[in-house]
Amino acid sequence: MNKLIAPVKTGLVKSAKLLWLLLKIIVPVSCIVAVLEHYGIIEMFAASFAPAMSYFGLPGEATIALLLSFTVNFYAALGVLGAMTLSPQQITVLAVMIGICHELPVETVVCSYTGLRIPAAAVLRISTALFAGFTLNLIYNLVS
Amino acid sequence: MEILYLLATTIADTILNIARLALLLVPVMVLIEIARYYQLIEKLTGRIKGALEFLTLPQEAAFPLLAGLFFGIVLGSALIIDYAREGILKKRDLLLIGIFLSISHSVVEDTLIFAVFGANPIILLTTRTILAIVITRIAASLIDRNSPVESLRN
Repeated sequence: MNKLIAPVKTGLVKSAKLLWLLLKIIVPVSCIVAVLEHYGIIEMFAASFAPAMSYFGLPGEATIALLLSFTVNFYAALGVLGAMTLSPQQITVLAVMIGICHELPVETVVCSYTGLRIPAAAVLRISTALFAGFTLNLIYNLVS
Repeated sequence: MEILYLLATTIADTILNIARLALLLVPVMVLIEIARYYQLIEKLTGRIKGALEFLTLPQEAAFPLLAGLFFGIVLGSALIIDYAREGILKKRDLLLIGIFLSISHSVVEDTLIFAVFGANPIILLTTRTILAIVITRIAASLIDRNSPVESLRN
């Protein structure tokens, strides 16, 4: 049992660090989104992207979640996710897209050590995310 | 005043959401650490032979691939850099691992977090894994067709 103390401790410390990171990112993003929404700015922005998002069965607001995920990280996208009312289908589609494509400025650089060039990685992940969202939404609509 | 109330409720909601997440995240992170302590990945590497053969990757690719898949792209890439330096894997294999991990990495943590927010974890996991496998396989064919293997040796 004693052997387990070290890994359990590492796990707890890492969880604490991750949760603190989540708090630092999600709380401010949620606040900004709430204020922008209050003044109707999100609505204006969302309306212009609604046609594009309809390919994924998502509301226009989802654009903000996607853009935040691509450029910042997916925790920031979670801040927006909390502010939107989405169906389970929509949340899953959005989660798949965000899961595939997030934190590009950091992760593409990290991944470039494998020989995968940064622009290639970005294009690969953005197009895969869009393809996955479109296809998954299609399948959902066919099944239901 | 209205704005202050709005901010207060937003902050309270967000903290509640993160607390809900913590209930799941903490045990899973501890389990991951225990798995790492018992070197579970090393024990798993022999079992994914079939998958590696399909991806046309050598046996040596198993460890960085699994590590990145479960523990994240940073750890996966760090191992890859190490492997590259020691010349264990060919450039072609490194690139393929990079493509695979770009699309699918730290699957436990990511899937869990989204599940707490209401996404279907099984669909999330299978979609990402299938796409990663298919795209890596296509990339492997493209690389092998366009460049003779010799030119890609380190």
